[in-house]
Amino acid sequence: MKRVLFLFLVAILLTVTISAGAQEPVTITISTWAGVDEAAELQVLIDEINAEVTGYQIVHQPIPGDYFPTVQTQLAGGTGADLYWLDQNQMAIKSEGVLMPLTECLADSEPETAGDVNDYYPGILAVNEYDGDVYGLPWIAQPVVLYYNRAIFDAAGVAYPEAGWTWDDFMAMGMELTQDTDADGEIDQWGFTNNGWPPPFIFVWQAGGEAISADFTTSPIDSPEFVEGFEFYLSTAYNPELSPSREVISEQGFGEMFKAGSIAMFMGGAADDLDRVDGMDVGVIHVPANPTTGDITTFAWNASTVVNGNTANPEEACDALVQITEAIQGWKIVSPRISQATVEHLVESEPRKEPNAEAIIAAAGDMRALPIFGNYSRWDATFWSEFWGPLLNNETDLSVAELAAEVRVDLEETLSD
Amino acid sequence: MNLGVLGTYLPTLARYVAVMVGIAVIMLIAYRVQRFLGVKQEAATGRTLIMPWLIGFLIFNVFTIGSSLYLSFTEYNLFRAPEWVGFDNFSEIFDLQIAPLESAAQRSSDALPPRYDEVQRVTLGDGGFVIGARMEEFWRSLRLTLLYAVLTVPLGIVASLGVALLLNQKVRLLGFWRVLYYMPAILPSIATILLWRWIFSGSGLLNGLFAPFYRAAGIAAPSWLTNPDLVLIVFVVFSLWGVFGANSVILLAGLKGIPQELYEAADIDGADEWAKFRNVTLPMLSPSLFYNLVTSTIAALQVFEAAAFIDIPDSVGTFLNWLIYQEAFNFRNMGMASAMAWIMLLLILALTALVFRSSSAWVFYQGAKDAN
Repeated sequence: MKRVLFLFLVAILLTVTISAGAQEPVTITISTWAGVDEAAELQVLIDEINAEVTGYQIVHQPIPGDYFPTVQTQLAGGTGADLYWLDQNQMAIKSEGVLMPLTECLADSEPETAGDVNDYYPGILAVNEYDGDVYGLPWIAQPVVLYYNRAIFDAAGVAYPEAGWTWDDFMAMGMELTQDTDADGEIDQWGFTNNGWPPPFIFVWQAGGEAISADFTTSPIDSPEFVEGFEFYLSTAYNPELSPSREVISEQGFGEMFKAGSIAMFMGGAADDLDRVDGMDVGVIHVPANPTTGDITTFAWNASTVVNGNTANPEEACDALVQITEAIQGWKIVSPRISQATVEHLVESEPRKEPNAEAIIAAAGDMRALPIFGNYSRWDATFWSEFWGPLLNNETDLSVAELAAEVRVDLEETLSD
Repeated sequence: MNLGVLGTYLPTLARYVAVMVGIAVIMLIAYRVQRFLGVKQEAATGRTLIMPWLIGFLIFNVFTIGSSLYLSFTEYNLFRAPEWVGFDNFSEIFDLQIAPLESAAQRSSDALPPRYDEVQRVTLGDGGFVIGARMEEFWRSLRLTLLYAVLTVPLGIVASLGVALLLNQKVRLLGFWRVLYYMPAILPSIATILLWRWIFSGSGLLNGLFAPFYRAAGIAAPSWLTNPDLVLIVFVVFSLWGVFGANSVILLAGLKGIPQELYEAADIDGADEWAKFRNVTLPMLSPSLFYNLVTSTIAALQVFEAAAFIDIPDSVGTFLNWLIYQEAFNFRNMGMASAMAWIMLLLILALTALVFRSSSAWVFYQGAKDAN
């Protein structure tokens, strides 16, 4: 019995020794919010990377529910995955010292690769920058574009929007397209829809306003430019001459109304499927320009991959980050890289976007991201609950300028926290 | 050898096994020490066997509760070391201002100092006053939570009692009815909430059913979930779902425990059904009602899931537990969230103590009465 036990122990010892000496590739884990379908598509990319690299293998650990609280807890506990997806708002943790600074490890990256920080749209990369360092590589920057239903325009005899169109053109078209098509005395077709989406910043930025100053010290929402942009934004929401009421949207669904053919124009992300609805002929164009400034800046939703500051394998994690970012930039649209801002790249990533690829790429050149800082979530909540929400939902009798002057104090308090 | 997913799982498993072995060793040592000190075998075994639970309780309950008390006196954002700020978090919460209104038309923001927002406005004639706070969301949420508790606890107990009385009837297929009435209690709470959310949504079941009535009356369908005046009613209706379940079962058990002789004696005395209910059933059921009152009050003050899945208009506030979660994980303001949690704990303790104090006046314990 003792001999058997001795042999067993020797066998285990030998196995452990051989395993330890075999220089196994390390495991680099990545956590994402991907659901089942998205995770399956991502796994294909990971498998391709794993087949090519030698020093590490990437393992996907999706967290489809309660993502950000989980990620924050893991980061605070010094555990968790090596890589994480973070969206623009979540990137606010870049200043907390829990993410790995990437400038050094990306320094030798080849030009026009995912590791080349100079190849990203500066405004998108800025979301990932803090104190002179880069903390994440963006993999998507989705500009808001305007989808329009050609059939509705044709039936009403209204010309399609064209490059250079302005807020005035937009309002005129929208009002003309808002109609009672079955003559029952009730409007059943609207020119536009707004239930809080699209973000008001599109119009504010176009008018020359800023929600947060570049140095993050003021929140000048009472400036004439901001007020002009915001007032125009409000005029597009729940306006019976242009857009459906809250109740109608709630009843019929926001995006669903466009797909059902009762909304003529809809502002959506470039990756949305609104131009792929069976039986619908949908055009895409950049958002209308401010009539005075001619500015056509649009909002971009963006997301990045970051490296856990506590990763045990920083070198491999950095390399895996570059590899997986490169792969995702060929999968998701729109790529946040300047060298990939081509119709060819977009169509290669998503062939179904071919008819509108040119308009999307053009919009990407005018996109802008939110000004993200450490306390952004508090600023955002204050902005919504005290300013945007009450004005949008008609819960205040104050004008935009009056309420802006009042709320600015509270917003700037969040900047100083 | 690349173990893939197992490569990250195995170290965790190894740590788990190591903890188990560690606890086993500690138990063994504790047992030996007790025996060495002359403790009887039975006592030593008992104490040793509760040790794993005790260790878990100390680490996962006592330590974390103690930590949250400490954190409530700090500024802590999860990622940086907590910074001691004394009573600042509590001071900010209790920083209230009462300002007179010069006229009924005067805006609260004009009456209150900067950085204070309205919690409650009281108009008296052509004047009145406004109560403002720096943490107005806390006070609004506290108001909503207390209102919810005040409405749902008595309603829930009365409804549970009604269900228990129904289930205590001698009818055919009694087992089937009991299973049917208990069924809602075993449904996952999130699924139930999503169902209610759909029922009360703008295009949901309720508005769909009443659509002809709305048309006939020429009124718009109510926005149950977005109208600040209606949303509390919706949550109260949700809460009544809870009457089918543990509360009814406890009361049913209480009803079953009432000696039949008491009813027979009441019959001999000529008592009618209402007199029997008032003088026999209710007093004999009072310990069960007391238990339900305590647990329902605590549960009503701790509503979380419903608030997490149903957006409440900002002007109404939200439920306190959800506000604490938001403060902690959305704003990473763990110090303030801990302070709010401790205020909530003290509030629950105070209300529970009040209920306990009142129990001597209305709870009847048969054994206690007999002993006297």
